[in-house]
Amino acid sequence: MTRSEAEEILQQTFKIACFYDEQWNTIDMILNGERVLLIEKTGFGKSLCFQFPAIILDGITVIFSPLIALMRDQVKKLNQLGIPARCVNSEQTEEENSKIIEAAKSGKIKILYIAPERQNNEEWMEATRQMNLSMVVVDEAHCISAWGHDFRPAFRRIINLVKLLPKGLPVLATTATATKQVEADIVQQMGGDLKIIRGNLMRDNFKLFVIKVQSEEEKLIWLGKNIEKLPGTGILYTGTRVDTEVYSRWFEFLNIPSMGYNAGLDSESRIAIEEGLMQNKWKCVISTNALGMGIDKPDIRFIIHTQIPQSPVHYYQEIGRAGRDGKPAYIILFYAPEDKRLPEAFIEGGRPSIHKYEKVISEIKKDLLGERELIKKTNLKQNQFRIIKADLMDQKIVREVTIDRSKKLEYVPGAPKLNTQIFEALRASKTDDLNQMIEYVETSQSRMNYLCNFLGDSTPNIAESCDNTGLKKIQVIVTDEWIQKIEDFHGQYFPILEVEKKGSNLVNGIASSYYGFSNVGTTLHRCKYENGGDYPDFLLKLTLKAFRKQYGQDPFDLILYVPPTKSGNLVKNFAIKISDILQIPISHQLIKHKVTKEQKNLENAYLKSDNVKEAFRYQNPDELFGKTILIIDDIFDSGATIKEIGRYLTKLGAFKIAPLTIAKTVGGDKL
Amino acid sequence: MNNEAAYWITLAHLPKWGYVKLNNLIIRFFHENNLSIEAFFQLSEQEWKSDYNLEYKDVEDLKKAKNDIPNHAFLAETLMNEGYELIPITSPLYSKTLKENLKYNAPSLLYVKGNTAILQEDSIAIVGSRNASALSLDFTDHIAKKAGEENKVVVSGFAKGVDLKALDSIIQYRGKSIIVLPQGIMTFGSGFRKYYQQIINGNVLVISTFFPKAPWQAELAMARNPIIYGLASEIYVAESSEKGGTWSGVIDGLRKNRKIFVRIPESYELTANPLLIQKGAIPVDLFGNRTPDTHLLSESEKPQAIKANNKKNPNNPQPTLFD
Ligand SMILES: Nc1ncnc2c1ncn2[C@@H]1O[C@H](COP(=O)(O)OP(=O)(O)OP(=O)(O)O)[C@@H](O)[C@H]1O
Ligand SMILES: [Mg+2]
Repeated sequence: MTRSEAEEILQQTFKIACFYDEQWNTIDMILNGERVLLIEKTGFGKSLCFQFPAIILDGITVIFSPLIALMRDQVKKLNQLGIPARCVNSEQTEEENSKIIEAAKSGKIKILYIAPERQNNEEWMEATRQMNLSMVVVDEAHCISAWGHDFRPAFRRIINLVKLLPKGLPVLATTATATKQVEADIVQQMGGDLKIIRGNLMRDNFKLFVIKVQSEEEKLIWLGKNIEKLPGTGILYTGTRVDTEVYSRWFEFLNIPSMGYNAGLDSESRIAIEEGLMQNKWKCVISTNALGMGIDKPDIRFIIHTQIPQSPVHYYQEIGRAGRDGKPAYIILFYAPEDKRLPEAFIEGGRPSIHKYEKVISEIKKDLLGERELIKKTNLKQNQFRIIKADLMDQKIVREVTIDRSKKLEYVPGAPKLNTQIFEALRASKTDDLNQMIEYVETSQSRMNYLCNFLGDSTPNIAESCDNTGLKKIQVIVTDEWIQKIEDFHGQYFPILEVEKKGSNLVNGIASSYYGFSNVGTTLHRCKYENGGDYPDFLLKLTLKAFRKQYGQDPFDLILYVPPTKSGNLVKNFAIKISDILQIPISHQLIKHKVTKEQKNLENAYLKSDNVKEAFRYQNPDELFGKTILIIDDIFDSGATIKEIGRYLTKLGAFKIAPLTIAKTVGGDKL
Repeated sequence: MNNEAAYWITLAHLPKWGYVKLNNLIIRFFHENNLSIEAFFQLSEQEWKSDYNLEYKDVEDLKKAKNDIPNHAFLAETLMNEGYELIPITSPLYSKTLKENLKYNAPSLLYVKGNTAILQEDSIAIVGSRNASALSLDFTDHIAKKAGEENKVVVSGFAKGVDLKALDSIIQYRGKSIIVLPQGIMTFGSGFRKYYQQIINGNVLVISTFFPKAPWQAELAMARNPIIYGLASEIYVAESSEKGGTWSGVIDGLRKNRKIFVRIPESYELTANPLLIQKGAIPVDLFGNRTPDTHLLSESEKPQAIKANNKKNPNNPQPTLFD
């Protein structure tokens, strides 16, 4: 097929006038059955390099893609062009996925997006035996390298698959964010006959700024004052899920239309928010990096980071969402000196200690067990366990096998010893990347150039692209008026305790604060573990405020409190005070009738819920029938205790059980 | 070999080709023409026809199969991910014993899990009935014990009766063992759970020659028998009836001059063991020891026994216990 023939089809099907030269080069090679690694800047048009051949080639193209939001985005666009594309992912129902897989088998789909983890799925594997496969694509291919910024162990299997595919079956791997080291790693893993096309990474319509601040409040203030002055709509990236909530509450407080997004939301909400973003429903979407890689909206006019990313590569990737139409876009990074602690903690805490690895290995050697059984046996946090599992699989010490349809971990006979040097090397490399990101804040050279250089691309300097090269630096000016606004905001902001579940009369409750917010956590800790006496009055006031906000004038028949494991009468005394003020009778009959361990010492939700299972008794159960109950505790962590009490009281006939706590933790809080 | 797995799966399961035809082709491209299997599949139809004397239908089969290679790449990836290995007949890991014993009838591809080094070790097979008598099971246990002491691998077929006894015993005596499956290797989940420790410790190797997802079938159980016999240098028969897998396996083995030892039954037992001994198998006692003073036939008479029972005279009226 000649270029002009191809461009005719391009115009008809994709409504695009012509290919860029590098696009055509790539497509030409793909149509000849070659294997290509394509490294081009964000927004370049890499997707076309597989979407076009996909409709030309006979059969189905399978695209392994790391992000669900990205798959949905691309499928939608293809469908609008009338191209039969679908995605299979964990956020769709089993039936939906099955239907799509069925359609793929019978040749009704030309382009199928799929997460690499799907290789673990039996139904999918069965389907792969019957599909007429025309090409395999690895989008965001940097995910296959541990040295890349978003390594995903499941991509390892994709590499192995690619190696097994027959000669002549085209394979395309694409990324914008591969350093030379990552590029070399990809080539080494995918095997020799991979051709590389690398373009320049310069995004010349970006206006880059760094705003140095002293505190979180200064960020809130600058945004409050200025975000509406920025043109168009954009994305605000935060470092944690909780921060997406805090910032969206802040904008809500200021009546700025915004919406929070993170991977913890249910898929329906996520889809609605992604659509809202495309339709410019809000001034900004506030998100973790769950919304990022690959998303293609032409007119994102600004991208703001409230938290410094882990590396210049992450940063380049995330800001790559902006200005894809080529028009100017504002790229702003906030930086307070203490901000580096979060990514540092991430790097430091990224890997569990070695003895935990040894513990997992020794359990696996003893018996063929599944993840859940192993988590229980080793008392590890689920996410820690998963890191260990991924590392052990990566080092070929264990592997995952299917025994009668369930997954078990198996020791690899004659496996090598755990290699901890590689962990050290990875940690060193990550620390190095973080330092380079901080260097980005401090640099006096062109910021775009700085990023391109880091990615192994030395493109010449351009003027007026950042606050080091002609644009005015931004400073935060704090006024009394705004300090007052911040205080008002804190005084009315209470985290929700999400515990509602079918079959339980428990309703969602409220906490007076996040554990780590201002001095709440430290005060609780002092009282609980350092004999600091009863919880002070300011906590009582704050908790009552939270109560009024959540429950208003709702009538309650009875106050109960969670009986202690260790810390004496603190919660009891606190509940008595609340009962006095609210004039709701209190009962002391909820007791613990089995010895439980302190929940905070149990590392995972399975053990926590086992620990409190059947642990509570109410001495006079008949009197709870039909009652509306307020249940009080000091700290809400996993929620296992409240849920168990809710389950128990529901069984006794309580009509409604409403939780109220002083603080709610977020993942990673030290109690 | 690893990257060629999808090609081998494709070739090995060409419908209705049979091992002889496959092995002839493999010998031609691999040994005579020095081509890898990948290179062979890259050849044009014309080259298949002219250089390999393939008929129209064979070329069509190959063409069709070639389309399945990408699909088999997915399967191969799953297999490797779960720790299964594929050993084609061209691999140095392939059992030499099996190749020598079966020659052109040797399977083109083995699916295995466990310690592949076992394939190169000295081995015996213990075979017999599913409903074996207590004596047969005793015999099996003794032979397994002896094998353990002599550091010989015990090959068995994972059926009830003698097979399972052989396996349990050799495991008990901490010897090594090969399990030859009557099914696809991916359908052996519970077995892999049961022999987990033995596999980790390198004492057990599981083998299948069938499509990895094939469930157990009577035909597969029959087709597996020659593999069991083929993997062993010596064969011990605990108990055989006058038909069925054990019987035909031994008869076939005798025809090929294999070393086959048959337990001498007690006079009250109803087995076809004496008949096998008449046909040339070597009689042994309950402990596997050769006994010259057998009440059946002496060594010198054996060739005649074979002669007397060759094809020309299938219903030779030798007295048997079934008369
Ligand atoms: N030849 C072309 N002419 C005009 N527009 C194009 C061309 N090729 C692609 N585009 C448009 O460019 C936009 C960005 O393309 P795409 O999403 O493929 O970028 P990408 O290279 O994958 O970026 P990222 O690395 O951020 O994922 C799309 O909206 C696409 O329609
Ligand atoms: Mg992309």
